[in-house]
Amino acid sequence: MPETAMNAGQVSGFYMPELAKVYRTCRKETDIIIEAGMHSGRPLGHMPGQFVQVSVFGYGEVPISICSSPTRTPDRFELCVRPVGGVTKALYNKNSEDWIGIRGPFGRGFPVDLTKGKDILVVAGGIGIAPLRSLINYIMDKREEYGRLIIVYGAKTPDLILFTSDIEQWENQPDAEVYLTVDEADNSWNGRTGVVTLPIREIEIDPARTAAMVVGPPVMYRFVAMELLKKDMDPDNIFFSLERHFKCGIGKCGHCQLNDLYVCHDGPTFRYSDLLARTEAIEAWAPEKDQD
Amino acid sequence: MQSFVLSSEQLNVLFETLMAKMPMMGPKQRSDQPGFYHFDWLKSPGELVLHYTTTTIPPKKAFFPPVETMFSFKLGDPPELTHIIEDTPFVLAGVHPCDLAAIKALDDAYSVPPADKRWLANRRRAIIIGSDCLPDEYCFCTSMNTADARLPCDLFLTPIDRGWLCEVHTDAGKNVLKNIQKDTAQKKDIEDASQWRLQKAEKISTKLNINFEAFAKILEAGGLTPIWKEIADRCYSCGSCNTTCPTCFCFNKYDEFDTTLTSGIRKRVWDSCQLPEFAMVAGEHNFRGERWERVKHRWHRKFLYLFRQFKRPYCTGCGRCSRACTADINMADVINQLAAASEKERSHA
Ligand SMILES: Cc1cc2nc3c(=O)[nH]c(=O)nc-3n(C[C@H](O)[C@H](O)[C@H](O)COP(=O)(O)OP(=O)(O)OC[C@H]3O[C@@H](n4cnc5c(N)ncnc54)[C@H](O)[C@@H]3O)c2cc1C
Ligand code: SF4
Ligand code: SF4
Ligand code: FES
Repeated sequence: MPETAMNAGQVSGFYMPELAKVYRTCRKETDIIIEAGMHSGRPLGHMPGQFVQVSVFGYGEVPISICSSPTRTPDRFELCVRPVGGVTKALYNKNSEDWIGIRGPFGRGFPVDLTKGKDILVVAGGIGIAPLRSLINYIMDKREEYGRLIIVYGAKTPDLILFTSDIEQWENQPDAEVYLTVDEADNSWNGRTGVVTLPIREIEIDPARTAAMVVGPPVMYRFVAMELLKKDMDPDNIFFSLERHFKCGIGKCGHCQLNDLYVCHDGPTFRYSDLLARTEAIEAWAPEKDQD
Repeated sequence: MQSFVLSSEQLNVLFETLMAKMPMMGPKQRSDQPGFYHFDWLKSPGELVLHYTTTTIPPKKAFFPPVETMFSFKLGDPPELTHIIEDTPFVLAGVHPCDLAAIKALDDAYSVPPADKRWLANRRRAIIIGSDCLPDEYCFCTSMNTADARLPCDLFLTPIDRGWLCEVHTDAGKNVLKNIQKDTAQKKDIEDASQWRLQKAEKISTKLNINFEAFAKILEAGGLTPIWKEIADRCYSCGSCNTTCPTCFCFNKYDEFDTTLTSGIRKRVWDSCQLPEFAMVAGEHNFRGERWERVKHRWHRKFLYLFRQFKRPYCTGCGRCSRACTADINMADVINQLAAASEKERSHA
């Protein structure tokens, strides 16, 4: 069957990517932002917090969060990629006019409908800002539908801060509160230093009307959860988006299993209360517990 | 259900007729290891062995090969993708009851939307002819409700005095028998077959001392880490238990360039949750980095998570994992060990 004869459903069930064209890239030392559009012209049709399976033919396929908001450019979408291995390095080397493959969007994104009217506390660690940038810009475009918007973003060093021009815009919005922090400052930095949990401590929230959306490295979740619980937040109102090893993205290959859940299909966004009942979810990773 | 009797000659005619029309996969003797059998494409009906104990690799490979090409690509502007999937009908013969149950289990798992269309497309191509088995000391199908499984076969064969009792389970099965000489089954033939199955069941000495629901509850209750660790101390994380299992369905995929570096293929391959890198993500974070966590995961997945989702454990009692394990980790023994340990704990409490 030629690729063009398949509809979107067939494409995902047969693990066949659709072609997408790279329109623009912005490459920095540690990451690249790729703007792309589907070759068929179909809008990607995603929601904030969903991901796509991105192919670089000859290298493989990896899950990448969609970092643009569906409210902005319906026929284009953006991916922010940090090169850590084979496929992500190949993506890092992409230029405009290059081709990639896309399956998706897949997964359960952030609960944007369920949390309408609430104060939204966004907590991002490292590359975790990518899906949250989609959420933040989505909320910015529907500002009247939500209460306060509090953004806490921590990066390892100042040069690892992503989406600096977005952040500038957010900081200039009177109805957004932005807390930026780095683990290790350098000479250029005169902002906050310290882990993301420190600013969370300062922030006054009304736990009854706040929903927290958290994405970061595995080790971050437990500490953020502890801070939010200290603020009397209900685990039902804390949402974690988790990273796992994905191969299929549709609940079949088994790689992303978290007990009885498939992170790709049942998540990647989960309520903290659902994770509390399970193991292997957000325990802190301890190197001494690794391989023997 | 209709049943017929076929003599050995008539059965041979059936296979010859089928093979004239389409390829047939079935158990045959391994040329490199006489006395051992494997599912393979048959050159002639004579190669088919219907009396065999088991195969190392289960017949799921007919629908989900250990390595398969999903598509090929040719770089260009735009690149060209060619979807690769077979569409010729084929026969899968000599499938034992436990392996039929396993194919049904994978039908269910892969049909959950969004369905795995590769599995479903390959399943639709096949006529399945099941056959009764010769158990050994590793089999425990009588404890797993699979000793008499039939679905999803089209025809099922049991040896009897007059040759073979052939049960017809589907219209496709009925069609296959249309122009084949056969006899209607008499009461005596059906009794012969029952007797044969009774004998077979009596030979199965390995038994579980616990039912599925109670075992799921034990796993759910937890507190078994010392036992998982004890098993993990013997395990090599080689993954043979997954590779030989008819109900395991995890996979990996990878790309390969050809020598021109301008075209290539994407493959999918069987994978194993026992391998250390299975759940690893970037930054070397591993969600089941310790061996005992992976061992525990295997039992939990088969007897708790998938059991709750599909109302049946993802184990048929075929014993392949136990036969394959060089560390002598035996599926049935481990279940009984866990059951006994939790029994002991309860009586102490
Ligand atoms: C829902 C989700 C959203 C993500 N969003 C982003 C994003 O927006 N930007 C970004 O840069 N990264 C993102 N990632 C991580 C990204 O998928 C991995 O970095 C990438 O798969 C690594 O593949 P590789 O071939 O480059 O590296 P490899 O050479 O394959 O391996 C490098 C390391 O990554 C691990 N790894 C391999 N394959 C996967 C996989 N499929 N999933 C996770 N880890 C894997 C390996 O075990 C190894 O430790 C996301 C992951 C998930 C699950
Ligand atoms: S076959 Fe045995 S040694 Fe190998 S991973 Fe399975 S249990 Fe461990
Ligand atoms: S777990 Fe072992 S005994 Fe059970 S179906 Fe798989 S290979 Fe057979
Ligand atoms: S990525 Fe394959 S099951 Fe989730």
